[in-house]
Order: sequence, then C-alpha cells, then structure tokens
Amino acid sequence: MTTLSNAPGIPTEGALAGLKVLDLMWVVAGPTATRAMADFGATVVRIESANRIETARGIGPYHNNGQGPDHSGLFGNMNVNKLGLSLNLATPEARDVLLDLIKWCDVLTESFSPRAMRAWGMDYESLKQIKPELIMLSTCLFGQEGPLSRVAGFGTMGAAIGGYIALAGNPGGAPIGPYSAYTDYLSPRFALPTILAALDHRDRTGEGIYIDQAQAESSLHFMSAALLDYTINGRVPQLVGNADPDMAPHGCYAASGDDDWVAIAVRDDADWANLCAAMGQGELTCDDRFADLAARKANEAELNGIVSGWTAERGAVEIEYMLQAFGVPAHAVSNSVAAARDPQLQHRGHFIEMEHPEHGATTFEAAKGRMTETPPSYRSVAPSIGRDNDLVLRDILGYGDDRIAELAIADALT
Amino acid sequence: MLLTPYRVLDLTDQRGMLAGQILADLGADVIAIEPPDGSPARSVGPFAGDEPGPDRSLFWWAYARNKRGITCNLDHSDGQALIRQLAASADFILESDVPGEMARRGLGYDHLANGHEELIYTSISAFGQTGPKAAYEATDLILMAAGGPLILSGGAGESPVRVSVPQAWSHASGEAAIAAMVALRARSNNGRGQHVDISAQQSVAAATMSANLAASIGAAETARVAGGMAVGPFTGKLIWEVADGYISLTFLFGSGIGPFSQRLFNWMYDEGECTIEDRDLDWIGLGGEFISGARPLSEWDRLMDVVGAFLKQRTRAELFEQAQSRSLLIVPVTTVDEVANFDQFEARDFWREHEMPGWPDPVRFPGPFVKLSDNEIEYRRRAPTLGEHNAEVYAELGLDQDALNDLRERGVI
Repeated sequence: MTTLSNAPGIPTEGALAGLKVLDLMWVVAGPTATRAMADFGATVVRIESANRIETARGIGPYHNNGQGPDHSGLFGNMNVNKLGLSLNLATPEARDVLLDLIKWCDVLTESFSPRAMRAWGMDYESLKQIKPELIMLSTCLFGQEGPLSRVAGFGTMGAAIGGYIALAGNPGGAPIGPYSAYTDYLSPRFALPTILAALDHRDRTGEGIYIDQAQAESSLHFMSAALLDYTINGRVPQLVGNADPDMAPHGCYAASGDDDWVAIAVRDDADWANLCAAMGQGELTCDDRFADLAARKANEAELNGIVSGWTAERGAVEIEYMLQAFGVPAHAVSNSVAAARDPQLQHRGHFIEMEHPEHGATTFEAAKGRMTETPPSYRSVAPSIGRDNDLVLRDILGYGDDRIAELAIADALT
Repeated sequence: MLLTPYRVLDLTDQRGMLAGQILADLGADVIAIEPPDGSPARSVGPFAGDEPGPDRSLFWWAYARNKRGITCNLDHSDGQALIRQLAASADFILESDVPGEMARRGLGYDHLANGHEELIYTSISAFGQTGPKAAYEATDLILMAAGGPLILSGGAGESPVRVSVPQAWSHASGEAAIAAMVALRARSNNGRGQHVDISAQQSVAAATMSANLAASIGAAETARVAGGMAVGPFTGKLIWEVADGYISLTFLFGSGIGPFSQRLFNWMYDEGECTIEDRDLDWIGLGGEFISGARPLSEWDRLMDVVGAFLKQRTRAELFEQAQSRSLLIVPVTTVDEVANFDQFEARDFWREHEMPGWPDPVRFPGPFVKLSDNEIEYRRRAPTLGEHNAEVYAELGLDQDALNDLRERGVI
C-alpha cells in the first residue's frame, strides 16, 4: 500500500469542490456525513475545543494501544480530510468567529442538544435573517421538538430505544444488540442525501432550508418491515440467535482457529445439496430429516450439529473458499486482521494509509462509493486540536495578526 | 420538493429498494421497474395477514413508497429497448443485480450512457462490480460477516449474533443514495454523469465503528462483550438488567460522559446507595487514574457492581423518568411494539398512513426520515400494485393501449 502524504489544505478538485461546510458535530453520526463530503472535495471546517475533549477521541481502537487525544482510530477515521479549528465557544469572541464562519459556509451542521444553538442566538430562525440561503442540519437522537427533545443521547441509546438492541440475542437470554452506537451508522444515510438535495434545490431557487433530524426516527427506516409486521400482524420479534425463518442451516459455525467463525446461509434445496456435496456428505441430501426447508427448520439443532462438526476441523477462510466454489453463501466472520488481508477489500482499496505526525503512519477507511468520474481524494489525517487555526483564520476568514492575537488573549482559541 | 426535477429508473429488487425510496421521499420521480411476474421483493416476508401474495409483502409496502410502478421484461429484447428509451429521459438509474447481468442485457452503464452522458448510473452489489469476490453468493448474514460488524456482537467466547431484521442491503442502499447525490452535484458542475459502484461489504463496515481498523493501526482486537463494548482496558457496559427488563445506560468517565456519571452518583448518594467517596470521584479524570495505576482496575468493576445493584431495584419507567429530570444517559431497551407506541414519535407527529389495496384499515408507516422547514417529505403515493403505472409511463414513449396489449401478450411487460 502506498503511504499518502499528509497535507491539510483547501481542496480544489472533486465532486463537491467549492462546497463549504461548517461542522459542529461530534462522535460518529454527524462526522460520518461531513467526512464523506470532505472526501469528495468539500472544504469542511470542524470546530473543537480542548476544554471539552470530543468523546470520540477517547474511544478505540487506539494507535499502538497508546493513550492520548490523537490515538483514537475512531476519531482518526471519522475526521480525515477535515480542517480543525479550536474555539472556546464559552467566550463571546469565539462566537463572533463562529458567526463569520456561518457567513462563509454553504452548509452548517450541528449536533448540540436543541437548546445550545438557541441560547447563542444561532438557531435557524435567527441565522436565516442574516443568510437566507443557508442549509442547516441539526441532528440529535430525538429531534428538536417533543417531550424528549432535551434528552442528551448517544447512538448506543438510539439502538436501545429504537428497538435494535432487542433484535439481537440468543433465545431466552438477555438482549445483546448490534455493536455499540448502531443508529449512528444509519442516520448519515438519510442526513447526507438530504443535505445534497437541499444544495441542489438552493442552487436552482436560492432558498435555504433547515433539516431537523431525529436519529431515532431516521433509523426506523432500517426496520420498517418489522414495524409493519407488528402494526398489521401483531408480531413482536423474539431473540432468535442467527436463525432465519426462510433459511437453514443459517448461522455462525465455529471453525478450527481461535475465535474463528464462518457464516453459512443455505437459501434453498439447491444450496443444501451443494453444501452436502462440499462437506463430502452427499448422502444427507436423501435424509428425510433435512429434505426441505420445513424439515430442516424442524430438525435445526441436529442440522447445526452436523455442520459444526464439519466446520470445527477447518479454518473459516478455507471453508469460505470451499463453499463459495460450490455456490453456497459463506464467509469467514471477519475481524480487523482478516479485514486487512481481505483480497476483495484490497481490490476495492478499502484501507488507506497516510503519514501521521505522531504515529508515523495511520490507516483509515476509504469513501464508501466508488465513483468513476469523480473519485474521492485523501489529503490529510484527522486534525489534532487546533491544527488548522492559522489556515482557517487567515486564509478562509482573512483575519490579520492583530485580530488573531486578540482572540488568543480572550481565550477564544482553546 | 427538493428533487422534483429529477427522474430515477429504479431497477433494484430487495437488495437496493431503500436507495430509490430515499430519493423518492426527497421528491424525485422514481419509477420502479419490475419483471412482468413481479419483483422478487414482493416475495419477501413478512406478509399482511401472514398470507403471501404479490400485493401483501410488507417489505414491498415499506420500500416502494412514493414510487410509480411499471413492468418490463429485461430479458426480452423488446423490454431492453423500452428501458433504453426510458433511460433517455432519466437522470438516475439504480440497479442491484449480480455484477455483469445488466451488461449482458445491453443495459449496463456503457450502453445506457452512450449518447446520454449526463446519466448517473448506480450499481449496488454484494462485494462490488469487480474483484476476487465479485461473484460470491451473499445474504444478509454473509455480508455482516464479511464487512466486520458480526464478529463484534455477541457474548465473549460465544457465537457472534446478528440483528434478526436484515440490515446489510439497507446499509448498501443508503450509501447508494449518498453517492448518487454526490454524483448529481458533480454533474451540476461539469455536466457529466458517471457510474457509481457500491459494495455492501464495504457499506456494512460502517457498523464496526472503526473496530475494523484495529490490526492496521497496531491496536488490540476489539473484544466481543455481550451488552457492552471494550474501551481500552475497560468494559463499557451498555445494557443493564433492571427490575422489569433492560435499560441502556452509558456509564463511563471523561469530559464527554463523566458529567452524566457524576449526576448518576449524585442521585445514588441522595438515595443512600453509594458512599460519599464514590460520589466525589473525579468522574472526568478517573480514566487517567486507572491508566496510570493510581487506582486499580478492579475498582472499575466494583463501581459497575454498585451501579448494577442500584438499577436492579428500579423499573424501566422510573429510571427513564429520572433520566429526563436529572439528565442521565438512560433509556429503556424497547421492543418493536414499544417503538410503535413511543410517545416521542407520536408527539413529533412522526407516523404516516396509507390505504393499502386488499387491506381493510389504513396502515401506519414510519414517517419522514427528516423534518424540513420547507419542501417537506410527503407520503404522496403508497407502494404501487404490479404494473399500476404502465399506461401513464409508457404513454410518454408514445405507446397506446393497443401497443401495451401487444407487449403484454408477448410477455414484454
């Protein structure tokens, strides 16, 4: 892998070149959306303060298992290509800078609790008086209105109250849920198309727009059919492990290595025959206990026992290759070691390596969409706090030495 | 609406329908194109009244909203010709077929963009259009395994476990909607469309929350913790058993979460359920004390036990109420029925209703995914029945009823 050089600056190329974004969001849900804009050429200025360290800086994985605000691989991944300005928004001087940046930007994104922006007179109603064409996104767990709009919330809580935690777990056990802040991964898929649509609309009409995203609401669109199944059929999903009503065998099977698992999904009788052939147990296709889906579901425990017996003697990756050669859906359950070696992810250029001032080099994920005409570009690693103060204050806002000195004296730039 | 000027030909099935839905909700004219015997998505359960049928798939109902629906046999040369004609008036094409299938029919990007270079053609597939795994067979579970989220969910030493409502293709569809809109902005700058290639494997990687980078940056592998996550040497417990079920409590130290933990301990102290020493810990800087060794790690486990004992005597409702008045990071772990009846969604007027054919009562759907100050998302069309808009859409190509009858008899539409 080529190690790219780290050169923070204002991009001039890409699908979103010229787009100016002021980013007041943190952790995962918001920064994911602005990261994508930055990858495709938008200038994203991200505000942070050393007085209240952004939560993502404390979440792993940690570079070389070390500690410090620039060790978080999560923060590093979420904030590639962004410019970092440190502002102490408790000071009026810093809020003046913020206002200048609002005048500069096309898109303002924020994920404070609803009252914060209002308290500073920077809610949409106030801002549109000075900038009618502004596109503004407010994103938080429960939205700007309603009895719970003042409840602070992380995506882990969105996963709980949005119903996702109770959708993963083993029969009779406690709910386990998907990994961590699940609704944080879903909400950018709705926020970002909306921002880009709003920009297109603005360019045609000159009109700005305010986007109020309740991440808990957006995320329900990933479980719409289950919600309908309840409202129409009265069904509430139970914890079923990896069982699937339409497929058997279907699950993760222990392979020979340490914490080594392979996922196998048999969609139909043809897959079943192919699995039996791959296992060298063709006689099972004649076994009445497994003759069709209904029989396989009725005898699922025995079925899983047979498959596990076979998988236990082989490595997960080996099983994946064997079964895919027979046309059976299968894949090793990948951890980060497997991901780094995955030939498909390598083919797609999924991991990008770049110089890093503190770690020598770092790795982050590529933009998700592969675009033939306007590929993403990778210009800089995630900013340390205040890394780009000079660039933003001088080159973007045109401040001179005196103004910057005044800000420093007022403790506005911490 | 925001995307009113744009037309989308949506050739996806259950692997990509959410992409077109996002664009349709934002106002685009999305035409869902199905085979004459119906989209495979119409066979995806659950079904209204648990009775399978082409107009009873709740999946179809949920993800074909705001789209018009026509039929067209993509494997018939006359059907292919119809798509080429329709594509000429389209800004976007969305497709989710196995890589190579659309090109085989003469409907790949190169075919449809020939002479129509503004076209934005978005392909959604399991592993991407090319590469060593491009031809892999895949399902939801397989993709969650391949992209990294699955290994992170489950008990230590136990089998990883997935979310039982399939998620992987929705992740891919969401990325497709994003990339299509990025391409629209590029087009407004340079006048050219492009081919966008979305991999579900890469899309679901977002759900690892960067844990998939561990090996690449010299970090320890993220441990699988039932109902929690590893934060360095600490276990961050996220799901807690209480008197009548489970809650999510985010309990940690540091400048982001520490103040919430402080308020929780203030409450516990008021109730006489923790010591003054525990209450007065430095909840911002506590992590540093553990890492420097000034405080043994076993203290963290003890603090979690203290919290656990406190929670276990209280109900979900009581804890949630206190969370609101005391500003704590607590919410109940809800099941789908509770989600459907949640006050907050009601108060924000979230839900929307459509009359669905063959179903007696209005059906309630999850509402707009965002609220807009203007150009609001409207639920203007329920999911179409099979071929519902054949006449009006094909009329644009100059086809009259006789011509449509002929196409129908020949199995083209």
